[in-house]
This record gives sequence, C-alpha cells and structure tokens, in this order.
Amino acid sequence: MGEIVETSGDAHPVVIEATGVGIRFRRNKRGRRSFKDLLASRARRSRPDEFWALRDAGFTVVAGEAIGVVGRNGQGKSTLLRLVAGVLLPDEGRVEVRRGVAPLIEITGGFVDDLSVRENVFLTAGLHGMSKADIAARFDEIIEFAELDGFVETPYKHLSSGMKVRLAFSVVSRLEEPIMLVDEVLAVGDKAFRAKCYRRIEELLAGGRTLFFVSHNERDLRRFCTRGLYLDGGRLVADGPIDEILARYAADHPTDVTGA
Amino acid sequence: MPRRRAISPPAGRGAARADRPEPYDDTVTASTAPAAAVRATYGRALWLLTVRDLKVRYSTSALGYLWSVIDPLVMAFMYWFVFGVVFQRPVGEEPYVVFLLTALLPWMWFNGAVGDSTRAFLRESKLIRSTRIPRSIWVARLVLSKGIEFLASIPVIAAFAIATGATLHWEAVLVPLGIAMQAALTLGVGLIVAPLVVFFRDLERATKLVLRVLFYATPIVYGLPDLDRIGLGGWAALNPLTGIISVYRSAFFPEHLDWFAIGVGAAISALALALGILVLRRTERAVLKEL
Repeated sequence: MGEIVETSGDAHPVVIEATGVGIRFRRNKRGRRSFKDLLASRARRSRPDEFWALRDAGFTVVAGEAIGVVGRNGQGKSTLLRLVAGVLLPDEGRVEVRRGVAPLIEITGGFVDDLSVRENVFLTAGLHGMSKADIAARFDEIIEFAELDGFVETPYKHLSSGMKVRLAFSVVSRLEEPIMLVDEVLAVGDKAFRAKCYRRIEELLAGGRTLFFVSHNERDLRRFCTRGLYLDGGRLVADGPIDEILARYAADHPTDVTGA
Repeated sequence: MPRRRAISPPAGRGAARADRPEPYDDTVTASTAPAAAVRATYGRALWLLTVRDLKVRYSTSALGYLWSVIDPLVMAFMYWFVFGVVFQRPVGEEPYVVFLLTALLPWMWFNGAVGDSTRAFLRESKLIRSTRIPRSIWVARLVLSKGIEFLASIPVIAAFAIATGATLHWEAVLVPLGIAMQAALTLGVGLIVAPLVVFFRDLERATKLVLRVLFYATPIVYGLPDLDRIGLGGWAALNPLTGIISVYRSAFFPEHLDWFAIGVGAAISALALALGILVLRRTERAVLKEL
C-alpha cells in the first residue's frame, strides 16, 4: 500500500533545488557606485555598505508539495520567493527551478493602462508563457472569475483597484504552470473575492500543483501548507512540517501570534 | 477536495505518499525546454511586447501612423530650408529631399531606439519584477518596434523618389545589409545604455546629448564626399552610422557606396553588440536588485 502508480518516471521529482543561496543588497539605495564596482565579478567579498538579505539557504522541493514561508518582516521571505521566481538572481549558490512557474507576485505589474482588458489579458498571459490559443480558450473563464463581464473592452486604467487585482489574480492563477508562487496577494480584495481565491488555490493544489506561499496569516499557512520554511535574519533556521514551524515561530515571537 | 494539512510529511525528503494528488506536470516548460523552445519563447515574448508598444503608441494618438511620416517630413523641410535655401551651399545631392530622407529615416530609428533604451528598465520595472523573460528583450523590443516604424516609413521615400524622378539603382539590394548592421549596432548600444542608466541617472541626459552631437557628426544633412572635401572622410568611417547610411543611400546615389566605411561600420556594430551582451550579463544581477 501507499505506492503511487507511476505513470512516467519518478512521480514526485525534485522541482526546486536551492543550494547555498545568498543575495546581498546595498543598505543605502542611493549610494555612490562606480563603473569598476558594477562590472567587477560577483565573487567579491561583501562590502561594508551591503548586507546579506539571505544567505546559505538550501532546500529541495518535490512536485506537489505546499510550502509556507514563515518569518517576520524583512527576514528574506519575499526575496526567497523572487529568487525562486527567477526575477532576482543570487550572488552566491544557485536556485534551480525545473518546472514552469506562475508567480503571483506584484501581479498587477504587467498591466498597461492604455490597453483594454482583453488586450491586457492576452499580453500578460502571453508574457507568462501561455499560447494565444490557450488564452483564447480560457478567456471567458478568466473574465468570469474576475467578475468583469461587460468590461472586456474597457481601458485598464478605468477599472477600480479591486477590479484590477481580481483581473490580475484571475489571469495568473489560470496559467498552466506546475509551480505556484503566492506572495501575500490574498491580503487585498474584498472578503468574498478572497474566499474565491482560496478556493482556486485549493483547486490547484488538489490538481497536484506545487505551492510556495508567503504569508503572515497563520490560518492561511495551516490551511494550504504541509511544510514550512522559517527564515530569520536572512538564514533558513528551520525546515519541517508546518505545525512544528509555526509552533517554533510562535515561541520565538510570542507577540506576533496575538497580532499585537 | 483533499485536506492538505492532514498529511505531515518528512520535510523535504519527498517520500511518495498515497494521499497526495498526482503532481501536475506539463513536462516541457521554459526552464527545462531545449534550446529551440527557449528561442521560440524569446521570440514570442519579444513580439508581444513589440506589438504592445505599437498598440499603445497608436491607440493613444489620433494620427497614429501619420506621425512616423509627419515627423521626418517636417525635419526634412527644415533642413532643406536651412541648407538648401538660406545657406545655398552645395551639400549633398539632388534631389535633396530623397538624399535627406534616405539618411534621416534610418537615423530616426537609431535615435528613437537608443533614446528610449535609456528608460527601458526603469519604465517597465514593475513588469520586470514579476516576469522572468530574458532581460535583453526589454531593449530588443524597442529596436524592433522602432525598426518596424522605419520600415513603415519607407513608402515616403518611394513617393518622393517618384515625384522627383530619382532613379533606383541595383545597390538597393544592399538595404537588408544596412538593416542588419543597424539592428546590431542599435541593440548593442541599447544593451550598454539601458542597464547603466539604472545606476547612473546622469547617463540619460548624457546619452541624449551625445545623440544630438552624433546627428551632425553623421553624414545625414550632408554626404560623405562633403567630408572628404575638407579632409575628414577617413575619420568619418569610425562612426559606424556612416557606413550604415552609405548602404541605404547607395540605392539612389551609388557613388555614396563606401566599402571601407561599411567594413569599419560592420566591425564596430558587431563589437557594440558583443559588448552590449557582456555589459547586460555583468550588470543583470545588480539591475534586478535596483529596480
């Protein structure tokens, strides 16, 4: 018992592999910088005006896992997610992502004010790798989920901010990618739509998607995730079942649990 | 719907569990795909963004396409007035309008793409922060959309050539060579400028200034023979645009075909492209952090 009938090769292959990942940022964003500095190789030593947002992080994720990233603000959670999404590149180590990714990070970022809702859907979904035919086939579904019937030809800039978020979530959550990255997007939108988003994420999880989830909400983390990564001070301090991770986090930061 | 949290796995080891759904896997994706598929993805993203550029430009202006015609026409009229009527100096060739447009239209492609590339990353920072498409696309799309506008304005040259009775020569078959050289040069310069502007904002103004100087340093309102007459012809070849424009111009003025300038221009264009790719590769990490 317990053996999954394997259809092709390994049923649960490693889809994300991070080894010794480190990335540093400048403390002072407007600081001076020289050409020499910029073009120098990345193997230099850390300089005083820089800090490591994340260092020595290593973990592997197999297909179908749902991982919650836990930690206080500024401990490297979003940075880790961006590294997995491939929109930041590590200064040390490597992040290998072996399947396509649907990043629900800054989801409204790709939309263009002057284009219509229809044009924007085709543009954003296309940039995330969906073919024109796929988008056309799912177009009605996307609009319906976003509750934007009748706004298809409206310029994006005339949508309300709630509509924009709904549209963005609807598009990105329809991407046929095996890995989903979710960064606190669920904090926005009204209650009813949030519930709908949750159901959608659960549907995708039931369909076998791999989830990488960043949230401060303990209930959400318990609801979606099986495994937790605990980041503190830019280090991966714990990796284990989500309940254990949350218990440890609560012990380290007692005030956070009550939301005080 | 299975309750996800009911299972408590040995973290990270990925032991197969019966109660877990079969992983969703569409096998061929951007990160695992062979080179051909990667190239197709690159092409598609590039095309999407180029079309978006053109759509935005034309959906927000009433005259749309006409602007890419009106602009060079007004400029051509001005230069004709200044150099042909006021100064009465015999520069260039007759018909002067055709002579001017064969250089002015390509110049506008170069000028527009390089000028816009100063903001290639800054303007699209939100989108760059949320998609993983290769970063060179943000510059390449500018070169492509301005290049398409250039191609779309070629009928203007044709119309003036017919109206003034200029004759087309066999050298017109070299036009694709000019386009290839110019595309390489423009992309290369854009790839150098775009990432560096992210760190040195002054470079944006410096680039605009250099472009203005370059306009007069390139045989556009005058011809290469005009430089030869004052002994600067050899130096002019160091400007890769000299060779490129010599190619375009030779379609109507075959005596302007200068293979030395073309050779130097091609070498410099290839060098610029290689350097651009290197600069982007070296600065990519830092650019992504800065956006």
